[in-house]
Amino acid sequence: MSDKISRRDFLKLAGVGAATTAVLTGCGPAARYITREPYTKMPEYTYNGLSTYYATTCRECSAGCGLVVRTYQGRALKVEGNPNNPVNQGKTCARGQATLEGLYNPQRVRGPIQHSRGQSLYDSNNQNVESNMSWDDAILVVADALSKNQPNEIAFLMGMAPDHLFDLVTDLTKAVGAPAPVRFGALGMFEARTTLMQAANDLLGQSGLPFFDMGSADMVFSFGANFLETWLSPVAQTREYSQLRRANPLKRGYFVQFEARMSQTGAKADEWIPIAPGTEGSVALALGRLMVEAGGATLPTVYANVDVNSIATAAGITLDTLKRLANMFAGANHPLAVPGGAALGQSNGLKTAEAVLTLNALVKNIGKDGGLFLSPLAPLADEYHRPASMKEMIDFVAQLQSGSIKVLFVHGVNPLFELPMSLGLMDALKNVPQIISFATFPDETATQADYIFPDRHVLESWGYQKIATGASSSTLSGAQPVVSGVYSVNGAQPQIFYDARATADVLLAAAEKAGGALASALKFKDELEYIQNQLNGLLSATDGFFSAAEINTFTAYFQQNGGWWKLGDDRVVPSGSDVLNNNLDLSPAQFIGDGDFFFVPFVAPVMAEAGANKPWLQEIPDPTTTVVWNTWVEINPATASKLGLDNDDVVLILSDAGAVEASVYKYPAIRPDTIAMPFGQGHTAYGQFAQGRGVNPADLLSNAVNEAGDLAFGSMKVRVQKTGKKRQLSRLESILGVYENFGQQQ
Amino acid sequence: MIKRFFNALNRPLGRVGVLIVLLALLSGAVWGIAQTQTTPQQPIDFPHNIHVGVLKIPCLYCHPGALRGPSPGLPTITKCWGCHQQLAITKTSPKLVPLVQAVQNNTPLQWVPVMWVPDFVHFVHRPHIAAGLNCETCHGDVSKMTVYQTPQVINMGWCLNCHRAKTENNAQNNPTNDPAVAANLAEERIKLTDCSTCHY
Repeated sequence: MSDKISRRDFLKLAGVGAATTAVLTGCGPAARYITREPYTKMPEYTYNGLSTYYATTCRECSAGCGLVVRTYQGRALKVEGNPNNPVNQGKTCARGQATLEGLYNPQRVRGPIQHSRGQSLYDSNNQNVESNMSWDDAILVVADALSKNQPNEIAFLMGMAPDHLFDLVTDLTKAVGAPAPVRFGALGMFEARTTLMQAANDLLGQSGLPFFDMGSADMVFSFGANFLETWLSPVAQTREYSQLRRANPLKRGYFVQFEARMSQTGAKADEWIPIAPGTEGSVALALGRLMVEAGGATLPTVYANVDVNSIATAAGITLDTLKRLANMFAGANHPLAVPGGAALGQSNGLKTAEAVLTLNALVKNIGKDGGLFLSPLAPLADEYHRPASMKEMIDFVAQLQSGSIKVLFVHGVNPLFELPMSLGLMDALKNVPQIISFATFPDETATQADYIFPDRHVLESWGYQKIATGASSSTLSGAQPVVSGVYSVNGAQPQIFYDARATADVLLAAAEKAGGALASALKFKDELEYIQNQLNGLLSATDGFFSAAEINTFTAYFQQNGGWWKLGDDRVVPSGSDVLNNNLDLSPAQFIGDGDFFFVPFVAPVMAEAGANKPWLQEIPDPTTTVVWNTWVEINPATASKLGLDNDDVVLILSDAGAVEASVYKYPAIRPDTIAMPFGQGHTAYGQFAQGRGVNPADLLSNAVNEAGDLAFGSMKVRVQKTGKKRQLSRLESILGVYENFGQQQ
Repeated sequence: MIKRFFNALNRPLGRVGVLIVLLALLSGAVWGIAQTQTTPQQPIDFPHNIHVGVLKIPCLYCHPGALRGPSPGLPTITKCWGCHQQLAITKTSPKLVPLVQAVQNNTPLQWVPVMWVPDFVHFVHRPHIAAGLNCETCHGDVSKMTVYQTPQVINMGWCLNCHRAKTENNAQNNPTNDPAVAANLAEERIKLTDCSTCHY
């Protein structure tokens, strides 16, 4: 043998090695010696190795998209859209996808808790406060609160969704003679829903939530409507938008966005027209006048006193641009004008909405394809019950402040975070002797409550939701538990980890305990029986996509399909005949404060008002700035260099209502006289992922309202002060940025 | 090291040593393979002959997953208990003590798989049932067994024999010698003998 291995030996060795490997691996894999543990009790509809899918309704916002959730071995794994649901037709948004992180959120309230106000519901190690009372005691507390207080001393504050719980609480308050439940949500505040409805009612003489048929339009002028983000029904509108762009293969629909700060929606537009905040209405009037003049017709009353030149100057837009846009709008086959939150949250918001809606009347698209409709009324609904306007919330807070309310029930909303601080809710709550929160998560309001009786997460809940807008047919979206709960599996007996109970069940049980009128009005065994009783009203309907002879079959179909909806087009065609002869008295927007900058607070497109406790949403870069996990201030690069500011410099923003600190993001797509901040961060509670991150721009807002009673959130003028500090924002794009030299190039 | 190994191979004792090692490996492998083909010890000596043979309970009553998906599933103790709680023998028979205990403690019975395929094989029951095969075609006449035993060695040859036989253009599969049926069989054969049909 030589010192080296010969080729022959090497091959021999390799052969032996290969043979040994082959033989050994053939000895039977470990799977042979693994025992199989079947379920002790097989969940219904479960098959080994197969997923089970359940249809339900998303509750991350109030749009009511249908979901189909994949579950495996009793765990919810993936959320998809329900393809049959008329609202979202199989699509979901990021918030819908992140519903799962609510279900498994480590800071979900563990069970019914009695606690002293202000004390955090989780400690510095993020360990949750343990439940310290039984559900039986919790029900007694609710029963006492309902029966021992006078009817007018009881108040319910609920979330925006018109769901079964709202119906139940309405029945409850009627039975005891208490004031009707108040519904509120920051999304409704920032989309100025009341203003939109009021304007439609004033102009068209018919109440209802407007429906914009963007899918069939070929020219959309949006005045501050962030319809691809959080406005009204974003998933449905995103579908409509995609139809706008591709429905006609020969002509791509054109889209112009008028807003001072380019939103994510504005970024998708063909043209972004940065007009001064508060001038949206007058620009709409100017466009209308130019269109009539170009057509050579006599001016209708509404445009008689419109001074196009001065409007162009005030809005910061050239006359040529106005004329070009007017010609484009007039020349389109299906033009559509959409007024959105950023334009309506001004002191002249109502008239602005009317001015924009009037454009639709001018091009005669009311009730036509690609035009303006009113949303269909949902099944079981006598009318659309809109959420409270800011004016109504101010009255509500005043009522709390006066001490006339003895017990406040809060469900589905976090007013201490969502309302502007200037409303003084925190002080007002001190005058309410008893606060009972049904929060699933330890939010700011729950932290200030005396009792927290956590509701089940939506993926564990029964229910239905009346669809306010987004679907062209009348739709009732159905919800059912996709998992029975979240269990810990240490040991043989699984223990429920989050001992939540459906608020409807708690209220029904409490009503029974309370006795009297309450018990006789709400004689339902549980939430499901109440829902079935409501659905009874649909049994005789013949225009739905399914029908059933009796209620149990109907309920089964309802759950299987994720709801019940009509087959036809139920959009309401308003008359809108005399719109142009109104005298629209649009006054200039009033601003509060002596600051140099218009202030545009906008809802963070991905995270929105309640997504901050879900890391998936925190981690998704903001679509326009790519910032994650934080709050930033958008300042035009030219303005920034004038103020001596650079990216990540911390500035103090001061308004007449308050002050916040945040890092600068040099954003070229904003007017130099405007700064903007996203709403959604700045929590002082709400779990480890949300707390202590960023600031809340609502702290800068006063409680000024517009003519319709909605918050004039765009009416603040703020000052910007350099602090000298620097705090780096975490963002996906390069810190040098694609716009680094943008300001200089201008 | 390797050089010393080859030097050792030149001596008779060295060769014997290597032979012993190889034989040990080989016998280990044979033992392992034999283990995969013998019937393992089960927590309960489940009498299939009584349940299937005498009581005529359909297979799919306890193993419903075979109709739906990849795995037939094993019955839950609640399913066992549904009948057994009504039987006097449940309390008296020593053989049923593990079931009673499992129900009392709410713990699953830990069954040992008898008929199984390696991890690199993707076996799904459903298409086999859908193709009209009876359970006993592969699993044997369970009504005559107590603890389940495999009637044959499960290996690739056995699978392929059947896949081939079912797709052969012969008098059984194509009695009228129809060219359309023949073409269909040929296509089926390609599908049923394709590696990726069964292997990941």
